[in-house]
Amino acid sequence: MKKLIWFTTISILFLVFIAPAVLALGISLVPGDSQPGYNPDLRLSIYKDRDVTQRFISQDANLSAIGTSIRNPNLKNKQDIILALFDDRMNLLRTVTINGQNVEDGSLVKFVFDPIPDSNDETYIFTLASPDAGPEETIEVFVVDMPGWIQQYTYDQKVYPGGLPMVLYFKPVSKFAVIKDIYSNLFSRLLHLNFQKTS
Amino acid sequence: MKKLLVLAIFLRTLVSVFLFHPDIKTYNYQASFLKKGVFNIYTYLVDNKKALPLKDDFVYFPLTYFALGGYQAIISPLLGSGFDSWLANAGSNSVVADPGIFKYLAALKFPYLVLDIAIAFLLMRFFENKEDKKKVFTFWLFNPFTIILLYAYSNVDIFPMILTVLAFLMIKKQKLFPASILLGLASGFKLYPLLFIPFLFLAGGNLKEKFILAATPLVTFGLIILPFISGAFFKSALVSGLTTGIFTSNSTTLGLSLLFFYAVLVDKGDQDRKKINLFNYWVALFLIIFSFSLFHIQWLLWVAPFLILIAVKKPNYSWLIFLLGILSFAIPILYMDRYMTVSLFRVYSTWYDLAPTPYTIIQKVYDPYNLLAVLHSVLAAGSLAMVYKVFKEKEVL
Repeated sequence: MKKLIWFTTISILFLVFIAPAVLALGISLVPGDSQPGYNPDLRLSIYKDRDVTQRFISQDANLSAIGTSIRNPNLKNKQDIILALFDDRMNLLRTVTINGQNVEDGSLVKFVFDPIPDSNDETYIFTLASPDAGPEETIEVFVVDMPGWIQQYTYDQKVYPGGLPMVLYFKPVSKFAVIKDIYSNLFSRLLHLNFQKTS
Repeated sequence: MKKLLVLAIFLRTLVSVFLFHPDIKTYNYQASFLKKGVFNIYTYLVDNKKALPLKDDFVYFPLTYFALGGYQAIISPLLGSGFDSWLANAGSNSVVADPGIFKYLAALKFPYLVLDIAIAFLLMRFFENKEDKKKVFTFWLFNPFTIILLYAYSNVDIFPMILTVLAFLMIKKQKLFPASILLGLASGFKLYPLLFIPFLFLAGGNLKEKFILAATPLVTFGLIILPFISGAFFKSALVSGLTTGIFTSNSTTLGLSLLFFYAVLVDKGDQDRKKINLFNYWVALFLIIFSFSLFHIQWLLWVAPFLILIAVKKPNYSWLIFLLGILSFAIPILYMDRYMTVSLFRVYSTWYDLAPTPYTIIQKVYDPYNLLAVLHSVLAAGSLAMVYKVFKEKEVL
């Protein structure tokens, strides 16, 4: 019985204190700001030469992925969806192609590319297009009118403030940095709770 | 024993506070309508779906709603005004970032802790010997499986489960009628105890007793659900995947039918009473279900206390039971559901949304469905071996 008590005590302590660190070793990208809320009725259609161009500021170094919600009604789009990333002088930096058949309707789709090391506070532009898709195979993205790092978007040759409700992902400096950030964030929240109690 | 109890509570509190499965928020959000005066949660949720931030149906049976809702009515004032808005919050990130989450999780899982400890004491009553009593108390409180099932996966099935334990205490004392009522009450939380009705029928001494024993759980269940019978109740709870999942596999139906026909045609019962041993059939019933169904992890709780009774009574089987426990945990962990593994840690950080699950890791080297099939086959073999051993013993309990 003593063995069982030790085994369970160690297992539970491992689960609560060590397992999060072990699992964090698998985190290869960390998100920047969370995805802004959006109105599901405000959407832009993308097909053929009808694309969207988005201007934004990167929140950190090692920009490695851009995620946004995409509608693919009835999963009809089975064509390529291409994201081309440019710097603010329109030099092409990265191109990512995914196939529409891998895009679930309304899901957050991540376009992952090789990290851009000095991306902190830099302005970038990307275009999102599905040139082989016909009007029947249209995909849709959402838009939000929010000032800040999601600066402006161009659609149908007109420029609007705000843009796609997106999430930027960054390659962490090291695995250790990820673990440290997770635990320090947790402990600061626990301490905050303690502070609330005493005050 | 006091020291053990303190350690057991400490370990449970740790898991309660730090691990979060979103189901606990969903069904507690739904149960929060009781304190606002909503009696029929099924029709209320369907009628107000458009206006509600969380759109899920209430998939449990009425007593779950009243137990959770009643408890909430008591603790809500202690948790502050943020509690209700936290329950209604549909934002997956802001829910876990809320500074009150530790307090909310501890409070919402507190009834599980009370019932969990109560079960430890109830299990002791199955034994006369002091040593066995201590053993079952320790086995229950210090097996990692039930701690994780209850406090990480927020398993609300503890409500019906404690009633089934009470029912078997009655059965042990040959009080079959109160046991039938308790099983009916348990089905008012979740339907699974009704699966046992055919065996209750067989346990009756004469035809009248057989009918009474079989009808009692049904009538009790019928009385509980009577005020709620509606299209909404039928769709949300009665035919929900959670209720009908057991019968999605033909092999499970075949296995359960074979068990029933074995009881009717082959089992002569024990020598004195000529009655079938209900405990054996109860354990066998669930082992067959886990052998052939794509089971939810919370179902494992249904049989956990009974396997612990076997482990104490027949120590030779402890290792087999432990192995079956590991296997039955490994299977749902391989499902393509983030909340079986990495996303349980979202209270630590939402970055775990980006951590690979066991499914995605295995997918890189092997087909996870093949591995699932292999594990399930091994579990089925082990479970059937266990069923054979339990029946061979005739009188485990």
